[in-house]
Amino acid sequence: MSSLSYFISRLLQIIPTFLIVMVIIFLLVRALPGDPAIAMADAKATAEQLEQIRERLGLHEPIWVQFAYFVKNVFTGNLGDSILMKAPVTEVILERLPASGFLALYAVLFSLLIAGPLAFVAALNRNGWIDVGIRSVFQIGLSTPVFYIGLLLLTFLAAQMRWFPVGGYGTTFWEHMYHLLLPALTVALYTSAIIMRNLRSSVIEVMDAEYVQFARAKGLPEHVILGRHILRNALISTVTLLGLSIGNLMSGTLVTETVFAVPGVGRLMLDAIFARDYPLIQGLTLTFAVLVSLIFLLTDMIQAMLDPRLRVS
Amino acid sequence: MKKILMATVAATALMSAFPAIALERGGSLTFARYDDSTLIDPIYADRNPDIWMVTNLYDTLLRTEADGKTITSGLAASYKVAEDGLSVELTLRDGIKFSDGSAIEGKDVVFSLNRAANPDLSPWAGLLASIDNVTSEGNKVTIGLKNSDPTIVLMLATFNTAIVSADAFESAAGETDQDKAKALSMEGFVGSGPFVMKAHQRGSMMQFAANSHYWREGEDGKPLPYIDGINFLVIPDDATRILKLQAGEVDAAEFIPFARVSEMQADANINMELFPSTRIIYSPINTRPERADGSANPLSDLKLRQALNYATNKDALVQLVLHGAGKPVSSGLMASTTQLATDNGPIYQYDLEKAKALVAEAGAEGTEITLTTLAGSADDGIILAALQQMWSDIGIKLNVEQVDGPTRGAKNRSGDFDIHTYGWVNDVNDPAQVAGWLGYNPTAKAVGTGWNNDEFNSLYEASNTEMDPAKRAEQYARMQEIYAAEAPLLFMYETPFAVALSQDIKGYVQTPLGNNEFATTWIDR
Amino acid sequence: MTSSFSLRKSQLFVLLRPGFLVGLAILLSSIALALFPSFFAPFDPNAFNYSALKQPPSAEHWFGTDNLGRDTFSRVIWAYSVNIQMAFVATIFALIIGVTVGSLVGYYGGIADAIFGRCVDAIITFPFLVLVIAVVAVLGPGLTNMYIAITLVGWVYYARLMRAEIMGQLANDYAAAGKVMGYSDRRIIFRHLLPNAITPVIVYWMTDMALAILLGSSLGYLGLGAQPPQAEWGVLIAEGRNFITTAWWLSLMPGIAIVLTGLGFSLVGDGIADLMRPRG
Repeated sequence: MSSLSYFISRLLQIIPTFLIVMVIIFLLVRALPGDPAIAMADAKATAEQLEQIRERLGLHEPIWVQFAYFVKNVFTGNLGDSILMKAPVTEVILERLPASGFLALYAVLFSLLIAGPLAFVAALNRNGWIDVGIRSVFQIGLSTPVFYIGLLLLTFLAAQMRWFPVGGYGTTFWEHMYHLLLPALTVALYTSAIIMRNLRSSVIEVMDAEYVQFARAKGLPEHVILGRHILRNALISTVTLLGLSIGNLMSGTLVTETVFAVPGVGRLMLDAIFARDYPLIQGLTLTFAVLVSLIFLLTDMIQAMLDPRLRVS
Repeated sequence: MKKILMATVAATALMSAFPAIALERGGSLTFARYDDSTLIDPIYADRNPDIWMVTNLYDTLLRTEADGKTITSGLAASYKVAEDGLSVELTLRDGIKFSDGSAIEGKDVVFSLNRAANPDLSPWAGLLASIDNVTSEGNKVTIGLKNSDPTIVLMLATFNTAIVSADAFESAAGETDQDKAKALSMEGFVGSGPFVMKAHQRGSMMQFAANSHYWREGEDGKPLPYIDGINFLVIPDDATRILKLQAGEVDAAEFIPFARVSEMQADANINMELFPSTRIIYSPINTRPERADGSANPLSDLKLRQALNYATNKDALVQLVLHGAGKPVSSGLMASTTQLATDNGPIYQYDLEKAKALVAEAGAEGTEITLTTLAGSADDGIILAALQQMWSDIGIKLNVEQVDGPTRGAKNRSGDFDIHTYGWVNDVNDPAQVAGWLGYNPTAKAVGTGWNNDEFNSLYEASNTEMDPAKRAEQYARMQEIYAAEAPLLFMYETPFAVALSQDIKGYVQTPLGNNEFATTWIDR
Repeated sequence: MTSSFSLRKSQLFVLLRPGFLVGLAILLSSIALALFPSFFAPFDPNAFNYSALKQPPSAEHWFGTDNLGRDTFSRVIWAYSVNIQMAFVATIFALIIGVTVGSLVGYYGGIADAIFGRCVDAIITFPFLVLVIAVVAVLGPGLTNMYIAITLVGWVYYARLMRAEIMGQLANDYAAAGKVMGYSDRRIIFRHLLPNAITPVIVYWMTDMALAILLGSSLGYLGLGAQPPQAEWGVLIAEGRNFITTAWWLSLMPGIAIVLTGLGFSLVGDGIADLMRPRG
């Protein structure tokens, strides 16, 4: 199968999934208890004002009509107005995405920088004290909730030592780098633990594989073996893992943004939940779903590029 | 009412507010807020973070002094209420300008007041229901009233009657008035207040710059404000706001949790301000004969409501929740800082014996009551734990139901609760708003309690047109008496606004209504 | 018929590894604390004590006291019953539903399997936490609703795993043999396929229990899970957050409890995984 047709068939697979995603979101938002009109109105609004809001939201229409409107609105990018922000949902989300995107990429970078070298060191010293030490530290990392790591970093490195700003985002690129360093590290500690684990075993697996043993026996220099066989396989498994843990990464950024007061979509989601901001909750869940599907797609593409065998299956 | 000239009064008031410290100009202030503004416009501001910022961007015709009660001049140099109480005449100050340099004229006042009184546009129009027409001639503006209105003068010193530019609205992009207001708030901002909007990143940052055309003069004889601008950072988390202040990243942080006030007070670098406020914390009690599920409601019995009030040790609550930074309410109907509030000392002083006797009279031993609290609120958690303990002494079992804010609001509206925690801050200086909300049944079923008292209702209606201040005060005194005796609320406490500032920030004021006043703020460098 | 529960001798050494033993010790003592908090906690976890506000750790109050004079040690101990409960309650129903649905669609295939596949794709398209907090928003914050939310989202992961395992087992001969012998579907699924297919699900369950504790305390911290004044580690950290520079023990102690318990679960989980994993 050619790359193009693989790409197209992969895209087509998304369509039914996405319909179900929309049904889930629609039902979820309709199931939110209470009256959206009351949530939208001020506590002091009159019954008449409430009725006007209901009319405007189309809450009197039958449910399937509301769903049809919803699907149409999703495709025209019109997700209504946020109650909390009093502005179009699309606009609000687009404003907040860069901070979250920055944080997520930064965290991925950190995860790779941390997990990559350590995984190799651990694998090469298999079951030695370095290996055990590295794995123990990551084991503890995996057992620590993200919010707690963030809280500790924020309190000690930012508030006490004053090495970093206490949360926020900044305005220029370098300010972003500086402000988001601790949040990115917070997210990365968790992700890198997962990557480290898998990378270590995949490296060990390849090192033990017959073809590598054979190459070694043939007298190929170690760096060639490392480059040709081990790195390449490690790369494939890491890409797969990164793709699979994108949901994890987003969950991590959601919590981290709250702890570090980063104005991203994660914090927005929590604000929206607490304010019962129906249109915003709807828009955000949709955004998260779209992002995850895109990442899944991208992962598949990269995998297919790195490992042509996959395209056939 | 006599004609009052007040230009000089304002100047002396300013002088007395600032002792002879060498005042410095310039510099900008970074202020950490708990929530962001959405649309700062005199009529569309409906949440506190919006309302409290309006007067920084838009000036009012009249103003109140820092106590929130005394009226002084604003954009209007003087005002006069006609003998029959059916019109108000104002004289505009000379040479006043909008931030774009254009003159503030009679037509702007007419436009602004008509807009504010238009029920199709403004959620606050009800406060200006007495306005019949507004006309201007030269620098004179006349407001014709449908009926006499004791609150109208105070209303002209309230955020919703602040003056906007008629020309700017005319030329702003957008179909509706609200669209135009939104467009103006972002680009090409034109205002009449001491500051102008410079930049706004929703939910994270907002910048104000000094309005070089502002009319009020500072202590040094030059126009206000003293500072060049303000950077607002939005940091909803209490602990992070304080960490930022301690790290010197911001100059001020608002809404300091009361549990941390003493820690801030002990910090030599921090000036912990507790501004008197009109905020009261109380819990509406469902007084309907039946609960929402149709079962008999024990709380419809006045004796049980009184018993709960006597069994609640408010001083202990103030210690537990506010760490002493507040006091039990002395008028059930309003904060003691509100105009016409009566003060006969704390009401329903803790009295266990009286409470037990009342419970016995009501035959209510062993009654189970549910308190609805705000999920995730540490304060509500403390209140709950304390009330459970206090009320078990009189044989009342308190259960809990935790919900989020909007759900609590919906329950309040539908009467689907026994007792729930709630709070209130006045938006206007006159007590009519809070009395209407808490007690006058037609407004909001007396904060959802369903309490409906004919004498109270008719007194309230009469007071809304009563021009004799003494008589109106009498009516209010009686209303407060009835309200306290009938106990439709669990009366709790009033709290100040807690703002922590770096020591070099001077002259910042938060008014009892909550308005953040930066016009006279300066930085001692 | 051999079950994968039967162990080879070499695998039993896993049980003697220090990691597994430490994990087991932590886990067992955590469960003891969770079952009998009143036996271990010296004070009432919710009793205010105005004469001992924000006291640092001492002989009387091992973990100090909070801003209302509550004994932090007692609160951390009482929280064990809530947080350990999370590990089981938040996962057990997901496990049962997931195993049942996964077995059925795996065995019968067809339309049900196709629909199931699409639904799984859709659900894993949401970040786990996002979907859970959205469901909590629907149900309202609180411990019970949090369990329901985690179950509603979490069963899918069990079902997906179970389905794949059942499909794998179906390829084996004995399933076909069972059919030939005229056994009922129920007997084939529950007597033959399930015992062989369930191992990876049990291993996943162990990790998931550790994750449930982390997730539950995160939701408590965010104000969506357990509610104050109930003692729960996430809630305790959130309450202590305001005093993190002046009364560090308030947020540090419950944090250590989370890490230790999480570690206990994952060490035991790893041990069991090694034990059950067929060796080549």
